[in-house]
Parts: sequence; structure tokens; C-alpha cells
Amino acid sequence: MRISLVLVVVVVAVAAVVGARPSPSRADESGLRVIVHPESRVISLDRKFVSDAFLKKRTRWSDDSVIRPVDQGPRSAVRRRFSVEVVGRPVEAVRRYWSQLVFSGRGLPPPELASDLAIVAYVTSHPGAIGYVSEAVDLRGARVVQVR
Amino acid sequence: MGGFRSSCVLATCLVASSARARADGDEAALADDAPVEVHGFVSQGFLLSTGNDYLAHSKRGSFEFSEAGINVSKALGDRLRVGLQFFTRDLGPNGDYRAKLDWFFFDYLWKDELGVRAGRVKLPFGLYNDTVDIDAAHTFALLPQSVYPTDQRDFLLAQTGVELYGYRDLGAAGAVDYRAYGGTIFLEVADQPGSPVTVVELTIPYVVGGRVLWEPPVDRLRIGASAQVLRLDGDLLIPPGAAVSVTLPAILWVASLEYAPDQLLIAAEYSRWHVRLESSDPMLYPESRSTSERAYALISYRLSPWLQPGAYYSLYYPDVADRSGRDAVQHDAAAAVRFDISTHWILKLEGHLMRGTADVEPTLNDGRPRAALATPWSLFLVKGTAYF
Repeated sequence: MRISLVLVVVVVAVAAVVGARPSPSRADESGLRVIVHPESRVISLDRKFVSDAFLKKRTRWSDDSVIRPVDQGPRSAVRRRFSVEVVGRPVEAVRRYWSQLVFSGRGLPPPELASDLAIVAYVTSHPGAIGYVSEAVDLRGARVVQVR
Repeated sequence: MGGFRSSCVLATCLVASSARARADGDEAALADDAPVEVHGFVSQGFLLSTGNDYLAHSKRGSFEFSEAGINVSKALGDRLRVGLQFFTRDLGPNGDYRAKLDWFFFDYLWKDELGVRAGRVKLPFGLYNDTVDIDAAHTFALLPQSVYPTDQRDFLLAQTGVELYGYRDLGAAGAVDYRAYGGTIFLEVADQPGSPVTVVELTIPYVVGGRVLWEPPVDRLRIGASAQVLRLDGDLLIPPGAAVSVTLPAILWVASLEYAPDQLLIAAEYSRWHVRLESSDPMLYPESRSTSERAYALISYRLSPWLQPGAYYSLYYPDVADRSGRDAVQHDAAAAVRFDISTHWILKLEGHLMRGTADVEPTLNDGRPRAALATPWSLFLVKGTAYF
């Protein structure tokens, strides 16, 4: 019985240490762009729609295709800005929101990628994807959408 | 328990493969759009109280305040998801490290307005019932015990059955989140040392209920209502050996309000639980009817990403028809500080000033009746949690 608990403790401790490594921070803090897949016809989106998409309260575009949000790492400057300006809550509050869903079995957060280039690569290779990057990055065909 | 060990080994392998994928960088993350997700947590706390033993033998200080859980989830296509969580805890006489499946389900989301979960699913009751044991989600180590009694976790946390859920945009009126469920709750009969009555069997033949949370067009405001109807059937043995069957139909409801602008969180809930006790032999085990009243108001503020103090006041009357005496009420004024040491480690310090003994368990206090227990009294908690 106690061995089981010790095993779980070790697993969680190791995973927590592995996961606690800081993500690289963004060099460019001047602004952010919300981007979607190159074949998307979306030009602009309501801020509430984008917020709901990243909180997975909305999972479908208007054509019923799946929305695939992708986040930056929690320490990224562009994530912090996106979180406050678009999602409407600080990164810490968003992480607690996901903790509630993950540990109650009600949902899983979007994947977190560690750089603007990785976000662009994800968005351009996944139909229905939506992400955000800092202004300076090469978009490689990803479409920029205006957030109202 | 061998099954639980096997599951831990399996989870270890999954975590190891997950860590390797992370170490390989974003290429691996891009390769599989819906990998097996593994998450877990471990908590260890310490309880110290004056006056009365509470939740554990806390007057002498107790480390019997541990929790651990690990879950695995996997999306199977765009609409279907499966998952399960193992959970074990020790809280005084409760848990004793018995591992069990905390939740398991398959979840089919037809569209945002309608999804269905089947399996063992956490009960949506009030703002926080389905997240009550998730330390990472809250400022407090103990949520207000009037509405979220942790020693009744087995009765109130999850049901086995079906749940319908959805989220609907109401345009200018905001949005609404709704859940409705029906099923049963499987209970294990726990030993009750010190109790004169032996519980032979407990069953809950049905539990049905639902929750509606309205999000008005005011950022981060939620207004909700929840209701739950259930029946508990029990077979008791009363000394010197008489068998009595009891039935407890119950109706529980709670009204909820939460406002969380920026770094602030304000929440308040008011609840009443109506319980009737019907007995096969009222002479041996009397019938009764009671309505309990439960309420709290809570505030917390994130001063920095790593520091969040908070406070709440919680009130519990076990019977609204009798509000006199120390055993007829429990006031709980709590203050806490949460330290986020890293994105995966939390430490919480918390103090409670209590007046009344309505929520104190006599069997933890040498069988003394609640009217004879100490008041006022206090409780101090320290709790550390690692999670990923």
C-alpha cells in the first residue's frame, strides 16, 4: 500500500522537476499577432470567440471544422500579453482553469510550444489551427486575423 | 491493490515517454496531435488544532493529510475522449491510502451545445465541488467546509452514470454552461470505531441533478444554481443485535456567485440540504426530518505570480429549526497564503478560528457529544503539493 504511494510520489516529483524547467522568454515584447491556417477564410474574430477557443469552450469554427488552438509556454512574454489582452485573465488564472479541468477529467489544455517558429509550424501544418506569435516572426504563409 | 501497482508502473512508463517527447523538443509535439496526456499530483499536509480533534487527531498534530492522484487521457478523434484517474488519500479515519478509480469516462462532444459523458463522473454542485481536491486550482487547503465537507468526499464527489453537458453563447446576454446527470454512487462501508451503531450496508440507488452557470456580459462573472436529488439506503445493526433498515431521501441545492476580475477572486454561495430519515423500526432508530443551512463568502488576491493571500467566512447550521447551542452551529473564519514556488510546486499556510462544534466528529473526540466539545477553537494547516 505505502509502496504504491511512494511510487506515485517519485513519479510526480520527477515529472514536476522535468516540467519545471523555464521556457525561453520572448525577445520581442512589442506586440503579438493571432494567426490561423493558410487555407482559413477567417479575416477577423471577436475577442470573446478567441478567448473561448483557447479555453476550449468553443471547439468548432463556423463551418463546423475543429478549432485547434496552440499556446506558447507559460513564461513567454507573448503568452502573458495574449492571456491578459485576449483571454482576459492572467496566465496563472488560465493555468488554474486548466488544472480544474485536467484533474476533474473535463478537458485538456491546448498544446504548448516553446517558440514562435514552432507555433508557425504547427499552425501552417494543422487545418483549423489558431495561434499567436510576436510581431517580428516570419509567418511562412500563416494568415493574420484581426481580433476585434 | 496489485492492480493499482500495475497502473502506477504503467503510468511511470507513460510519464517517462512523455518526458522524453518533451526533451526531443517541438518536433515530437508536432508529430502526434493528440498524445496520451498524463497528469498527476501529490500533497502532504499537517494539521494542528486546539480544543477539538478535527478531520484527524489534530490536537497532537497530524500528518494524516495526504493525497495523490494520477490520470491518463487520450483524444480519439475530434469528438471522442477517454480518461481515468487513480486517487488515494489519508485524512484521519478516511481513506487510509486505499487507492481507487476516482473518475473514468468516455466523453463524446457532438457539438459545443451538447456532449455526453458516461462512466464515473465528478458531480457539478456549486462552483467548486468537482475541483474540491485539486490544490492547484484553489488558494485554500480546505475549501469552506459548510458547502464542501471534505470528510464526505465519498458521498458527494462523483457518480457513476451519464452526464449531458454543453456551453451556449447567448449573444448580448453572455453565455451559459449547463450540466445534467443521473446515476448512482457506489459506497464502501467504512469502519466507525466508537460509534454504537454498526453500518452493515449502504447504497445510493439513484442520484440525479444538474448545474447551470450563467456568464453575463461582464468579464469573469458567473452566477449559478445547482440541485441534486438522491436516496441513501442503509442496513444498520443496533446493540444488542437488532437489524434496522433506514432510507434517507435528500434534496440539496446551492446558489452561487463568482467574480474574478484581473487578480481578484470573490465568491459566495448559499445552500440548503433537506434530509428525511425513514426507519423500519422508529422505536429503535427514530425517524427525523431536518434542513441544514450552509453559506460562505470568500476573497483572494494574487499579489504576484507566486503569492496569493485569501480569506473566507463559512457558516453551517445542521438544522435550521434549532439554532441554539454550540452543537447547532459552526462559524469558520479562515485566512490563507498560497505560495507558488514554481509552476509545479505549491505551499499553503492556513489558519481557522472556529466557533461552534456542529461539524466536529464525536468519534474523533473520545465519543464526547458535540454539546460537550470545546468552543471557540482553532485549526492550523500546512500543505505542500507537487503537480504536473
